[in-house]
Amino acid sequence: MKSTFLADLKRATEWGQWERVRDNWLGPAGIPARIATNWVQKAPQNLRHLLSREREGLISFINIRLQTSQTLEQLGVNHPDQVPGRFGDLRKIFDSEIQQCIDEVDLGIDKTAWLGRRSGVLAQITENWLKTSSPELKRVTGQELNSLRAHVEAAIEERQQSITAAAEGAALARERVDLSLPGVIRPIGSRHLVRQTFEEIERIFLSLGFTVVEGPEIETPYYNFEALNIPEHHPARDTMDTFYLDLPPGSEPHLLRTHTSPMQVHTMEKQQPPVRIIVPGKVYRRDNPDATHSYMFHQVEGLAVDTDITFCEFKGTVEYFVREFLGSAAKTRLRPSYFPFTEPSVEVDANCFVCMGKGCRLCKFSGWIELFGAGMVDPAVYGFVNYDSAGVSGYAFGLGVDRLSQLKYGIDDVQLFFQNDVRFLRQFP
Amino acid sequence: MKILYDWLKEFVAIPFSPEELRERLSLVGIAVEGVSETSAGPLLDLDLTINRPDCLSHYGVAREVAALARSELRPLSVKLAEVSESAARATRVEIECPDLCGRFTARVLRGVKAQPSPDWLRQRLEALGQASINNVVDATNYVMLELGHPMHAFDMDRLAERRIVVRRARAGEKVRTLDGVERTLFPDVCVIADAARCVGIGGIMGGAETEIGFSTRNVLLESAWFDPVSIRRSSKTLGLRTEASTRFERGADPEMAEVASRHCAALIHELAGGEVLAGVVDVYPARREPLALELSRKELLRVMGANVPDGEIEAILGALGFAPRRTDQGRDTPDSPLARWQCRQPSWRQDVAREADLIEEVARHYGLDKFPSRLHPSKQPAARLPYALAEDRLRERLIGLGYHEIVSIPLVNEEEDALFRPAGVTPARVTNPLAEDASLLRSTGLVSMAHALAWNLNRGQRSLRLFEIGRAYRLQNGAPEETRIVTIGATGLARQQGVAESARDYGFADLKGDLDQIGALAGRFDWNPETHSWQHPSRSGKILLASAGLRRVGGSQDPELGRWFVTVGNTVIGAAGQLATRVAERFKLRQDIYLAEFGLDPFCNGFGLARSGRKYQPISRFPAVERDFSVILNDGTSFAAVREAIAALGIAEIISVEAVDLFRGRNIPPGNFSLLVRVTFQSPEVTLTEGQLSDFSSRIISALEQKLGATLRTT
Repeated sequence: MKSTFLADLKRATEWGQWERVRDNWLGPAGIPARIATNWVQKAPQNLRHLLSREREGLISFINIRLQTSQTLEQLGVNHPDQVPGRFGDLRKIFDSEIQQCIDEVDLGIDKTAWLGRRSGVLAQITENWLKTSSPELKRVTGQELNSLRAHVEAAIEERQQSITAAAEGAALARERVDLSLPGVIRPIGSRHLVRQTFEEIERIFLSLGFTVVEGPEIETPYYNFEALNIPEHHPARDTMDTFYLDLPPGSEPHLLRTHTSPMQVHTMEKQQPPVRIIVPGKVYRRDNPDATHSYMFHQVEGLAVDTDITFCEFKGTVEYFVREFLGSAAKTRLRPSYFPFTEPSVEVDANCFVCMGKGCRLCKFSGWIELFGAGMVDPAVYGFVNYDSAGVSGYAFGLGVDRLSQLKYGIDDVQLFFQNDVRFLRQFP
Repeated sequence: MKILYDWLKEFVAIPFSPEELRERLSLVGIAVEGVSETSAGPLLDLDLTINRPDCLSHYGVAREVAALARSELRPLSVKLAEVSESAARATRVEIECPDLCGRFTARVLRGVKAQPSPDWLRQRLEALGQASINNVVDATNYVMLELGHPMHAFDMDRLAERRIVVRRARAGEKVRTLDGVERTLFPDVCVIADAARCVGIGGIMGGAETEIGFSTRNVLLESAWFDPVSIRRSSKTLGLRTEASTRFERGADPEMAEVASRHCAALIHELAGGEVLAGVVDVYPARREPLALELSRKELLRVMGANVPDGEIEAILGALGFAPRRTDQGRDTPDSPLARWQCRQPSWRQDVAREADLIEEVARHYGLDKFPSRLHPSKQPAARLPYALAEDRLRERLIGLGYHEIVSIPLVNEEEDALFRPAGVTPARVTNPLAEDASLLRSTGLVSMAHALAWNLNRGQRSLRLFEIGRAYRLQNGAPEETRIVTIGATGLARQQGVAESARDYGFADLKGDLDQIGALAGRFDWNPETHSWQHPSRSGKILLASAGLRRVGGSQDPELGRWFVTVGNTVIGAAGQLATRVAERFKLRQDIYLAEFGLDPFCNGFGLARSGRKYQPISRFPAVERDFSVILNDGTSFAAVREAIAALGIAEIISVEAVDLFRGRNIPPGNFSLLVRVTFQSPEVTLTEGQLSDFSSRIISALEQKLGATLRTT
């Protein structure tokens, strides 16, 4: 409609008939009038406002074009004082138009309408008002025109920025990640808790100069018992009920080791003092499984033998281990006990970390928890490995890895270690 | 052992409350499990170590209390009113087997009246878990709990010829014991017999036929000493453990036999009346002089590392009955480093037979807390296990690939093990398994892995990746052998459904890819299509380790192409594949299961070799160029053949050959498949020209056409 009008206006201007055009377009039978009667009034309620606004836009467009297609003289302006009034009207129309630009398309149309090089309003004013003005009007018209141009350019630029910013903002809002959605979790595994405890124990004893050695799980009774000062029919064998291997007749009997202690003997047979080893591994006792017993479990045996090791060094080492393993607040006590291969023998207790020594069910209301057995190597053991029992001394200990893990992590059932339920395994990454 | 606090107080003044006593006793090695209240007063529940049979009595514990409290132990004495007639005239005792029975004492009481025990006696017995029977039997039990020596009372009138013969059981000899069970004996068992028959199992349990009843008038009171090993063997073989056998097998006090008998006779006399014949019939073949022991301060310092003053040593050893006496030259100098003590082993402490044992006695009563703590410097470098590094890297990579480590008990079900057992392997069985399901040491970790997968699948955990570093067991020429192995198991989804990606099942390609990533640590894994019976026939293979003759050639960065490594020989180290349906059904595994196992030791060897052979490869400054070849091949043509055909061209600029896509159907004729091969070219010296590249391409195409009958896809 606007382009039809412009074509019409162009022709009319060439022929000096702009009044006809004005009457045709703005008169009672003009297009805005017909829009009012035929479209706006008959439109449904929700469209009416829109149509009416479009119609007013069309009227102001026509008005401006009509005005700027004429010279000032034709418009009846012949005194400089009348010039600002004309420009003031235009500025008002521009301001209201730019207010209505809500996107890049609107703004593009408006920009062409006002700043277009040929038919833009400002080009028209230059052409029709400025160039044709009398010298006395020209100065004011020129000033007003520049001021209007500056205003239009600034306003369009500002509008442009705000439209761009709004568009970008909307796009970013659309693409914003939901931080609460999960990322892609690649599966990752874990070391078994028993393994983690082995590594922790190894770390502590490596720092004290202990070398790690391993031995067979299938042993002979000699290494598992006799050479550790547990002869046949020794009552200590009752506490270590043993699995025996079914071997062809005539073979040397073998058993599943009941502790990692046989490696004490193997090591001392091969090596003269100083000896400082730890032996991690699986051990087997024929106990019916329950929350605290498994017929297979894990131990770390320790052995240190030299010419200058006494109970004091033993005590210092054990206390160091307990502090490193359970934390610096852990208190240790050594309680006399009995093992056939150590003398003196002790149980190493730590103050109960559940009740802090006040007494609870875990520590059977004693304030202390039994951690592991240990002691000074019994001189009888040296006899089996041809060490001079009058010249060397040392200590040994047997850490129950599963028990220590249970205590440290509050695991009430040892069977959990060997069921390998991933819901258990995942808890210890 | 249960101990009544009030009963202890009859022998020693106790300056501690029961709770304090618990702590004090524990700290000298008499572990007290707990303290409870009974109708007979506070009760201490002792958890005794097996070397301390002397503490299986109130008097023995009282001695420890006296030593730790430095108070006086009341000496034992009893007044026994005897009639003039001597016991020796009333009965005779003969020991035919002095190796089994070292002492036998008999006292004779006449005209007793067996009846229910008085309340004070019943109360104590019941508080200690002993049923009250009648005053005569209760007296023997009471004195046993008091003094630690088990005794037995016979109804003397039921003993044939009223005499005792201690002898080995005859083959097939039977006796009905007090618990009403008829037991068949064997010749290693020491029996108490009369002139005619066995009337009790020595040191274990008396016989029912000579039991004391309310009609009993005359009593023969046995108080004997039996050889600990013999009692232990008999008690185990007969499956019969009693208060008596526990005491004898740990070592009762032979000197106490007569003392306890005197106390017991006095108590029976007091409770049941009658008269006690004079004296005791005492056959004592095991009598010996007390053992002389020596303790030196030098040795005490060598073992304990800190001094204990003379006064403490003498007070402790004195209170425990060792009668210490300083014997060194300078005995007038207190706390001399040269001090020596002569001691005498008390008959109740046969566990203390060496200087080391005396040191322990001193140390535990002196207080282990009084010895200072020291660390000792190491004289040697510490070392981890030889393969620790290889194991670390392996574990780390498996975990990175998403596998959880498991630890399983290697005792398994024999039939299940057989499903996975490689041909020719003799499994290692256990003679005395706890259960049929755990009767065999596994010959492979696969059986444990199948169980771990099944456990989880049965608990709704459907996507699993597990590994175990453990051992497999077998018999080799009749001798047991342990092999270190790595076992892998996976099932379910390789990728979970999420907002960012879709779900995908774990498949053979996942297993192979993961294994090849592991193999790269040790050189390279090669694959060979042979399969075991547990494996799915078409989605399985053997794993070979290409580590022998390891060395690097050329400038390639792609170990897949085999240009880093020249393989002189491959060793089979394991197998991988989908679990055969037949085996999966046995474990009720209802989804596809993938398993693999390989030997840890060859892997670790390969790791060491690969690590020592690894050197930096200069990174080419010139661009690498990819060319894709879409070829149609006959079914059965392997990718390896494609790679070999290309490698055989000897084009040094080829740095990798990869398979990018593979499909059948659509526009591909039946019996053929389409493979998209991506070849990457790069020169360490120049930028490759278009001319060179098209020359390489045409040579590759013609090699594939001529060697493999491939046709280039043009669409």
